[in-house]
Amino acid sequence: MFYKFIQSVDKYLSFSEAKAHCDVPCGIYDPSPAQINALTVVRMMDLMIALEQGEEKGRLEYHNTLSRYITVKEEHAEKSKHEIRVIWGDYIKDNHLEKYPELTVLVHKIMQLGSKCRQTCNREDGVAFVDAINQFAEIFWATKNVKTKKAKAPYAPGLEMVYPDL
Amino acid sequence: MLKIIKVTGESLSPLFLPGDYVLIRKYTFLFGSISEGDIVVFTHPSYGLMIKEIHWVNSELQQIHVKGSHPLSVDSSKIGPISSTDIFGKVIWHFKKPRYSA
Repeated sequence: MFYKFIQSVDKYLSFSEAKAHCDVPCGIYDPSPAQINALTVVRMMDLMIALEQGEEKGRLEYHNTLSRYITVKEEHAEKSKHEIRVIWGDYIKDNHLEKYPELTVLVHKIMQLGSKCRQTCNREDGVAFVDAINQFAEIFWATKNVKTKKAKAPYAPGLEMVYPDL
Repeated sequence: MLKIIKVTGESLSPLFLPGDYVLIRKYTFLFGSISEGDIVVFTHPSYGLMIKEIHWVNSELQQIHVKGSHPLSVDSSKIGPISSTDIFGKVIWHFKKPRYSA
């Protein structure tokens, strides 16, 4: 409640901002970790589906392995969201948003898909998560005037990814 | 004098997140009143107003070393020690933005 009050006062008075940047002064931003984490989410979904169809179902080993896959899926979906939030919050500036107004909706979509990937094991959501982050990567590299190329990841699940064409 | 400041960036996460507000007491005290663990707002010559945690205080050289709590945060080894005169104020209250989980 206090927070909401302060927030509404801020709208009128515009309090000064103090930066708690992680990246000062290196300025290193790269969407690749977010992309790799999202791929891991799909990989975990594939492993979970395969495990469910295997012969070990119901055994102790099965529960142990499934729990591990779920844990990794949870962690990597969140890591991916975190990486995008940092680029969004610390790198993306007004001029980027003017040039790429679709970024706001795209970032929100990534956050939503990341949560969906944690809550369920729907592979389509996982692939959509990867695709949305690839779109983000494409725009990110465009803001740096770096060309991009699309290629299949050289490891499972082998989805098509956006890479900087250096 | 008291002042409210809005936090941006993640280097003090998870305790302080972007969008949080802090109430600071402007720094008008002697050097010794700032100690390790205090969260301070200070002016950096290149980066403007920043918020960090006091890592350690070198009383002899009148230098203050700061750090973030996030693993990726940079400390004084990168941004350099700051002087007590750079300190704008010390955080005395924290208004947290509501935390949502998935």
